[in-house]
Amino acid sequence: MASHLFHMLLYSAIVAIFFAVLLRRERRGQLRLGAILWSSMVGGALALAYLMFPFPG
Amino acid sequence: MSGAQARSAGANVAVGNEKALLYVLAGWLLPGLGHWLLGKTRRAVIFAVLILGSFGLGLAHDGRLALRDPKQPFLSSLQIVANLGVGPLDLVARGMVYGGLSFTLPAHRMSDSDAARREEIYRDRTRSALSNYGTAYIWTAGLMNLLLLFDVWDIARRKKA
Repeated sequence: MASHLFHMLLYSAIVAIFFAVLLRRERRGQLRLGAILWSSMVGGALALAYLMFPFPG
Repeated sequence: MSGAQARSAGANVAVGNEKALLYVLAGWLLPGLGHWLLGKTRRAVIFAVLILGSFGLGLAHDGRLALRDPKQPFLSSLQIVANLGVGPLDLVARGMVYGGLSFTLPAHRMSDSDAARREEIYRDRTRSALSNYGTAYIWTAGLMNLLLLFDVWDIARRKKA
């Protein structure tokens, strides 16, 4: 599948789950850190893409 | 004492450096195995699924299994280290993709040899539209497993729960 958005969401999920399980022991802490990491990666990428939009390719 | 009990008991006692190194080696041989042997079954399964899944996605998306490029020896060597982080699976994948264990690109273009064939396979995968996604998955799998080896060491030496 060549959808850039799909791979960004999937890749972010893999990395977020990995670090959440690695760095937190309790389920609640893992969910919280995983959500923060995933939304930071996805949100950061979308924000950067939006900021770059006016610039020519 | 059952295997599970032994693993659980092992998780509560610091082990010596030699045994800790064996756990680290186990974790390198098969992602998650080090945690499993230390009684961290749930984490072991999650890590194994994430790392093997990421590696499989990388191979399925034409990810590049790095070859040492004489034009960029430092960077390409680092890429090989990232690849090898996933353990012997990388060697199996190289066998499947390149038809044998291969770690270097030839310094000069060759006409008719195994090296030339490997180079062509490598460049074909690089040209694939999916290659960048696949390469990111493969490198991430290897780097995640390298990080896990430090975690296994810390758990075995009781520096971490």
